Amino acid sequence: MTEEATPSWEDVARIYGRKIYNFAYRLTGNPDDAADLVQEVLLRVRKGLASYVPGSFDGWLWRITRNAFLDDVRKRNRRPTSPLPEDERNLAIASPSPDEVLASVRLSEDIQSALLKVPLDFRECVVLCDVVGLTYEEIAEAVEAPVGTVRSRIHRGRKMLREMLTWPV
Amino acid sequence: MARVKSSSGCATAELVSAYLDGELRSGELDIVVEHLSRCGDCIAEFHQLREIRAGLRTLPFLEIPERLLPDSHPGEQLSAYLDGQLSTAEHDFVISHLDFCTDCRLELHELDAARTAVRSLPGLEPPEFLSVQRERIERERWTRRRVVAAGLGVAAAATLVFVTLGPSSDPAGDIDINPFFDQHQARMSVESGINMLPAFAPGPTP
Ligand SMILES: [Zn+2]
Ligand SMILES: [Zn+2]
Repeated sequence: MTEEATPSWEDVARIYGRKIYNFAYRLTGNPDDAADLVQEVLLRVRKGLASYVPGSFDGWLWRITRNAFLDDVRKRNRRPTSPLPEDERNLAIASPSPDEVLASVRLSEDIQSALLKVPLDFRECVVLCDVVGLTYEEIAEAVEAPVGTVRSRIHRGRKMLREMLTWPV
Repeated sequence: MARVKSSSGCATAELVSAYLDGELRSGELDIVVEHLSRCGDCIAEFHQLREIRAGLRTLPFLEIPERLLPDSHPGEQLSAYLDGQLSTAEHDFVISHLDFCTDCRLELHELDAARTAVRSLPGLEPPEFLSVQRERIERERWTRRRVVAAGLGVAAAATLVFVTLGPSSDPAGDIDINPFFDQHQARMSVESGINMLPAFAPGPTP
């Protein structure tokens, strides 16, 4: 969604809501914080759409999302809490065997808790890239940093994760 | 499993992630490919990064809670909103929803009215206390009446139990039936001379 039509607030919620929720969940590791963040973002989007100048919508939206998250972090003045993997346990993962489900859940829990240990600057870039699926350029717009910086943060963020996670190759 | 610390120290090492993401700039691709063809450290790093990237990308994509979507209305959040029990984000969200949803504005109005009505009810004795007290009164009354009844020689009538006078059949039962109940019973006792016992009243079985 770029250039032309400015979407309505409802469209944004329907099209991007789930992505925003996943972004927030992976950054905070907490479903309640993630839900609060989605509400806050959608509120800001509602207010912001009035003055939105058509351009890169993704860049605009994720900048709002990211700023809402940072404001929340500042406000709470605390580190994100540890993950509640319940949501993931309830997931129907494309019909694999129970063992595979278990392994997959354990793996994603490991990744999630490792993510929470990665410094925020790096974490947000990794999540925007690998969870949300943005391009480096879109991430650069969202985090208001040069593309080169984004590239370096993604690389270093992934390397930190790799250092923390050990599983059989 | 070998854990290779980054650092091959190769200038191109940092390009490996971008390579995996298809984010290399023109000219960089050739350099990286060429380097990977001869640097063991960077190949190891390439494999590790590819693995972690794949792990991140297969994280379950969670469903968003439905209440966050515009098609869903705040529902029970409205009551919590009236009571000031929402988080700031929820509160703002409800307000913004009310801004455009007439259905929810109406519902809020009704909830508010109901809440006000409930809150303006006069303070009553707790129901438990009420029934305990009534039990006690009835028991006393029963004992008193048996004496009276015996005196009148109509003791047999004491077996008569009026079930129609229970609180459930009384439209005013939920409020305070005591005054009505007392009057009624007093009148009936006088009129018929029969000792009556409401269905719910405790007392010895004759
Ligand atoms: Zn190298
Ligand atoms: Zn509504």
